[in-house]
Amino acid sequence: MKATEGKYKYGMVINLDKCTGCGTCTVACAAENNLSVIRDETDKQRTISWMQLFKVTNGKPFPDTEVSYFPRPCMHCHNHTPCVSVCPPTATKMDYNNGIVSQIYTRCIGCRYCQAACPYQARYFNWWDGHFPKGTERYLSPEVSVRMRGVVEKCSFCHHRLMRAKEQAYAEDRRELEDGEYITACTEVCPAEAITFGDLNDPDSKVAKLSKHPQAFRLLERIGTEPKVYYISSKDWVRRMADNYHPNEFQPV
Amino acid sequence: MEINRRNFIQLLAGGAAGIHMTPLPWKLMDDIAIWTQNNWPWVPKPEKGRFDHEKSVCTLCPGGCGIEVRKVGDRAVKIEGRTDYPVNPGGICPLGAGGLQLLYDETIRFTSPMKRVGPRGAGQFTAISWSEALATLAERIGMLRKEGRPEALAAVDGNRRGNAEGTLIRRLLESVGSPNYFRMPSIEDTYTTANLLMQGNPGPMAYDLENADYILSVGPALIEGWGAPGRVIAAWGRWHESSNGNGPKVVQVESRASNTASKSDGWVAPRPGTEAALALGLAHVMIREKLVDLSFLSNYTHGFEDWTDEEGRNRKGFRSMVLDGYAPAEVEGITGVSADRIVAIGREFGKAKSPLALYGKGKGNLNGSLLECMAVQSLNALKGNINKPGGAVVQEGLPVASWADVSPDAVAARGLETGRLNGSGSPRLPLSESLVENLSRAVLESNGTPPVDTLLVFAANPVYTLPDGGAFGKALGKIPFIVSFSPFRDETAAMADLILPDHTNLEKLEDVVWPTGLQYPFLGLSRPVVRPLYKTRHSGDAVIALAGKIGDPVAAAFPWGGFEEALKERLRGLAESPGLTSWDESKPAWETFARGRSVSPDYDSFDDLWDQLESSGFWYRPTHAFYTWLSCFRTPSGKFEFASGRLEQAVKAAAGGDAGDGLRKMGVEAVGDQAYMPHYEQTLSGDGEEGLKLVPYELFNVSTDRLPNPPFLTKTLFDTQLRKDESFVKMNPATADRLGLEQGERIRIQSDAGEVKARVDRFEGAMPGYLYLPMGFGHTAYGIYQKGKGVNPMNLVAAGKDPLSGQSVWWSARVRVSKA
Amino acid sequence: MDSALFPEGVKRCSPKVFLLWTLPWLALLAWGGLSAFLCLWKGLNQTNMSNIFAFAIWIVFDLAVIALGAGAFFTGFLTYVIGRKELKSIINAAVIIGFICYSGAVAMLGIDIGQPIRGWFIFWHANVHSMLTEVSFCISAYLGVLAIEYIPIILENRQIEKVPHLRLFGHNLHHIMGVFAATGTFLSFFHQGSLGGMFGVMYARPFAERWDFYVWPTTFFLFVFSAIAAGPCFTILCTKLTEAISRKKLVPDNAVQFLARLSGWLLSGYLVLKIIDTAVWANTTVPNAGLGLMDFYREGPYGIWMLIAEIGIFGIVPAVMLMIPQVRQNPAGLIVACLMNCTGIVLNRFVFIIATLAIPVMPFARFWSYLPTWQEWGIAMALVGYGFLLFSVSYRYLPVFPKEQELNPAMNG
Repeated sequence: MKATEGKYKYGMVINLDKCTGCGTCTVACAAENNLSVIRDETDKQRTISWMQLFKVTNGKPFPDTEVSYFPRPCMHCHNHTPCVSVCPPTATKMDYNNGIVSQIYTRCIGCRYCQAACPYQARYFNWWDGHFPKGTERYLSPEVSVRMRGVVEKCSFCHHRLMRAKEQAYAEDRRELEDGEYITACTEVCPAEAITFGDLNDPDSKVAKLSKHPQAFRLLERIGTEPKVYYISSKDWVRRMADNYHPNEFQPV
Repeated sequence: MEINRRNFIQLLAGGAAGIHMTPLPWKLMDDIAIWTQNNWPWVPKPEKGRFDHEKSVCTLCPGGCGIEVRKVGDRAVKIEGRTDYPVNPGGICPLGAGGLQLLYDETIRFTSPMKRVGPRGAGQFTAISWSEALATLAERIGMLRKEGRPEALAAVDGNRRGNAEGTLIRRLLESVGSPNYFRMPSIEDTYTTANLLMQGNPGPMAYDLENADYILSVGPALIEGWGAPGRVIAAWGRWHESSNGNGPKVVQVESRASNTASKSDGWVAPRPGTEAALALGLAHVMIREKLVDLSFLSNYTHGFEDWTDEEGRNRKGFRSMVLDGYAPAEVEGITGVSADRIVAIGREFGKAKSPLALYGKGKGNLNGSLLECMAVQSLNALKGNINKPGGAVVQEGLPVASWADVSPDAVAARGLETGRLNGSGSPRLPLSESLVENLSRAVLESNGTPPVDTLLVFAANPVYTLPDGGAFGKALGKIPFIVSFSPFRDETAAMADLILPDHTNLEKLEDVVWPTGLQYPFLGLSRPVVRPLYKTRHSGDAVIALAGKIGDPVAAAFPWGGFEEALKERLRGLAESPGLTSWDESKPAWETFARGRSVSPDYDSFDDLWDQLESSGFWYRPTHAFYTWLSCFRTPSGKFEFASGRLEQAVKAAAGGDAGDGLRKMGVEAVGDQAYMPHYEQTLSGDGEEGLKLVPYELFNVSTDRLPNPPFLTKTLFDTQLRKDESFVKMNPATADRLGLEQGERIRIQSDAGEVKARVDRFEGAMPGYLYLPMGFGHTAYGIYQKGKGVNPMNLVAAGKDPLSGQSVWWSARVRVSKA
Repeated sequence: MDSALFPEGVKRCSPKVFLLWTLPWLALLAWGGLSAFLCLWKGLNQTNMSNIFAFAIWIVFDLAVIALGAGAFFTGFLTYVIGRKELKSIINAAVIIGFICYSGAVAMLGIDIGQPIRGWFIFWHANVHSMLTEVSFCISAYLGVLAIEYIPIILENRQIEKVPHLRLFGHNLHHIMGVFAATGTFLSFFHQGSLGGMFGVMYARPFAERWDFYVWPTTFFLFVFSAIAAGPCFTILCTKLTEAISRKKLVPDNAVQFLARLSGWLLSGYLVLKIIDTAVWANTTVPNAGLGLMDFYREGPYGIWMLIAEIGIFGIVPAVMLMIPQVRQNPAGLIVACLMNCTGIVLNRFVFIIATLAIPVMPFARFWSYLPTWQEWGIAMALVGYGFLLFSVSYRYLPVFPKEQELNPAMNG
């Protein structure tokens, strides 16, 4: 299953210098994608948060301590997508035409092999049926189906927004989407505009340019998953957090 | 062919085999597969409908960000930011994004007017009609007036200073005859008082931070909810557009490695409550090294140099005071910040072209310290960075029109002459209005008939949010009749006898006055984006209807058909003032503002303005008369005052001559000339010996104010903040080791106000000796996602009084810790 | 009372004693039944599995019993394909144990997946690249083979045998058993292998990842090898346990000794490969991922002891014990060696499942701990109860041990 390059390759760049760790991306994602709420959302091993915040610290004592955050969506790994190859009923696939790794909730049998295979902890199992206190089912969006318990779900790069943008373009008799026309909910909402989303194959797109930033990097690059989510940080200690390094191996930019 | 048994069977068998060659069985299998997947009756199926967008303004915090609500049919399904709004070009905050969980969760809302049926606090109510509810209250108020004690009607109001609803509520009390209208504390109190004392006008604090090249942020949660978060964080994003730094250098002053402290270019960590000393230490460095704007200081300030007063006495000036008392070594002793660091930061600030010193305390939901605020503002004055682009801009309030004065009848006039129950406005507390904690004390200390008979609570949840160790809740126990206008089943409403529920933000028309800290005048119009879901009523309308039921002369003071009419009358003032109702995305308002040119209004009448307000949702004036130092200060000296003449007058009035006595009454320890200048005094809550201190802190991703926290926000929390029902208290590993505490260990934290239990989170970024407990948890009301989750640090904080303002010292309290 | 059902010429305990004996196993089954009901009705929130521990105790049990149940296919292979006649005295027991292990594992998997009623999607929408697809196909098919192998033993029941048609059917089945044994061997080889492959292919988890040999990662072969090294030992243990409880000799020593000796050699061979594999992994995969070997052994309780225990204490020691005739001929020595061998293989499966998931890959991801709930234990224990029960019933009513009568002449009549 070698990736054959498709026409588009949607990806994301998250600037960690801009990121304030506020979590609006997480909330907007939950609202956009009808994420379920369980009774105890502090159960971090079992709550669902497609865009999950990871907190890191530089480990230095007071008052030189610093914290930073990695907002972590699905990486939509481009090379030998670890979850796709292991899924027995083909419930998760990568669309080579746009690079988006999708999840078919109604086909997933809930074996969770994909969760085991994903090193980014980007996949979430519905341990419960969503809990909707009276009246709250009214905020659910019809664009994304509500998941039943017992299936795995994950960030879809707001795939329905691609459909929405395409429909708009067709209605306006355009064949191609403009840069920025299709963006994810987290990209749109980020108050620091730390997230950039677009087509990595389009050399003129903002996201493609940023992905080539000298301080751009990806998570666990050396295991070869080729994530389509990039990060930028000017801080060495943050960049070093993104992968495992042997002593003295990490090269500051 | 004859059909016999044999070939019939052959036919059947052949058919059965042959059918497998067709797509039929496979198709059937697939259909069964789909059928088994799509029929889960307990999984909600969102209704489809026409997609739509409605623009409005968020009123969940004083930031007032522009929002666009995505709708499907009548349902709101998503709150997004809007890109055509000058304050927040596109982004919003976690609370704003999660707002629909507040709108639609019926279990945390009141669905109609209610009267209490269970014991107070139990939250048992029965539905009644609006006419019954209003009649009950009107009758009660009428009775108070008949008894000749209209002042026994009191109101606690969480509305923003100067918005139409708050002004209506205040007007209701005035027309009834009660001076006991109390606004909930906020950082605006500190800002306006500091501005009054140093600049002579109680206008809003207006920081032009987008145009500054060095930002010293003393205390505000700069990128964690202070001011208009959408504005500040958007600026933050721009500043970090490239890693070589095209933005200002930002130095955060805060005792904890917060997100702001960590993400800033520099972090200075003084002990909580010693920020004033740090600011004055920086002033010392700047003055000593002549890194100040001498021309501004000598021409447009008063009390910088030593001076002689009207009576011919020699008075010490700010320069001498700072040079004598705030040498870096001394400040190091007070703040714990090394002298070298103080010198370095003082130089950086002094050498910057337009450095801006920002004052705040966390998000700004509660008051700050007046002396600290003044000390920080004096840094701006030292650099002459007042009323300049990139500085602290001197602003009047919004040019809204006033309603006709109330003409109180004899009963009301007599009631209004009684002193306010919180003592504010009296000689002892001349500078503050919103001392709700003093109201609690007055009620609790009263014997016989309590001074408050009927209490109205609007847009506030004082039982939960006040840093008073639970005193407000206790005081409610002595108040005979409590009326809550809250749309939510909050702690205060649980104590109420009558509920007159307001709409929630997305159902309500509101004027959003001047987002905190914004440099230019701004008014947003929040419009209902969904029809009210329940039998709730706009509190403005409810007040007008109530006045009508009370009858004249109260009714006469409310000549409007409803809130919208009253609001329109008020906003007529804007039409007579130049301003804009549209914004070109390519020209950020702060850029236009810095150019300082005048604008010609894009409306020609009030009706025109109103139409545009309804569609665009905002009015603003991105322009300013800078450098008007000869006219902009309205202090007794007409200059920026390091030594406040107004304060001196107030102290004299308080003491009847003996200034020292007057100062003591106002809670000031300092004596002599420095008492009238920004100076350092220790602010700390709780009695007892030195030792561990508690610092309540706010999280951006948790609603810490009057609103319940939407469960989506809990997804953003870490389980070292809240796990199951337990809060985590952050402490430095050294402190934890000294106390013998492991990660996750359960402890009891006691103060003289109360006691809570929490678990330990060892965190290097916590200042040794201090415990950091998050706010926003520990509700005893709302639904399953809020009730009983964690503890409320406000239960531990009480008693400390900020010098001069008399407001609560909530940022640091003495505590004891034991293993639980 | 039920003596008419007993195999010809053997002695069995009274129905009352037998009923008492089954009670604890029935209790375990009841516990498991309740647990299963809760898990199916309320969902997998009844477990302590999580997004971190996507696989947990059930998968450990699954993989463990499937490895231990490998005695069935391997003994079948030796008996029918290679033609080791002495194993005929133990093959029935091996088949029944295999059937128990596999049917139990499949039942457990049915509860383990989040949407059991969609289980068949694996076959319907099969992703041929997934090792779990291979596992599912082979296990299902092999369970069928095991059932077919089990049927003739059932048909040999004294009363059933009286029905001529069934007797004939059983006889015919017996004749073609070689075909099934060969099929079973083929299927087993692939699913034992693909169970190992499941972990080796998780290339984004350096702890589990192994290099490919042909199209399979080395764990494919190691799992096959370790299963056939441990499976016979488990068969021996079950036989010896039955002998101990029934206080009878049931299998001639030559069969047991042959299997024990073979296990010793297979285990040694496996360990050589395992050590090479571990060394290669530690010097290629691990450093390529930016890690050192010891980086994997510092999270929670998962220390280097796992490696030492798995390869050293429960690997090399039993291998040596089984290869030394004096030790394996000593009854206690044989039992200890077999136990240690089985423990080592279970530990291997545990490490590949639990430790793989427990060790975070992202440097900033944290370590989580996991302990099963009573519901998880219930379902795992039900497998034990089910095993004891089915084996006891089989032993009571079926000629599981063809040499029983011959080895216990005194008890005749």
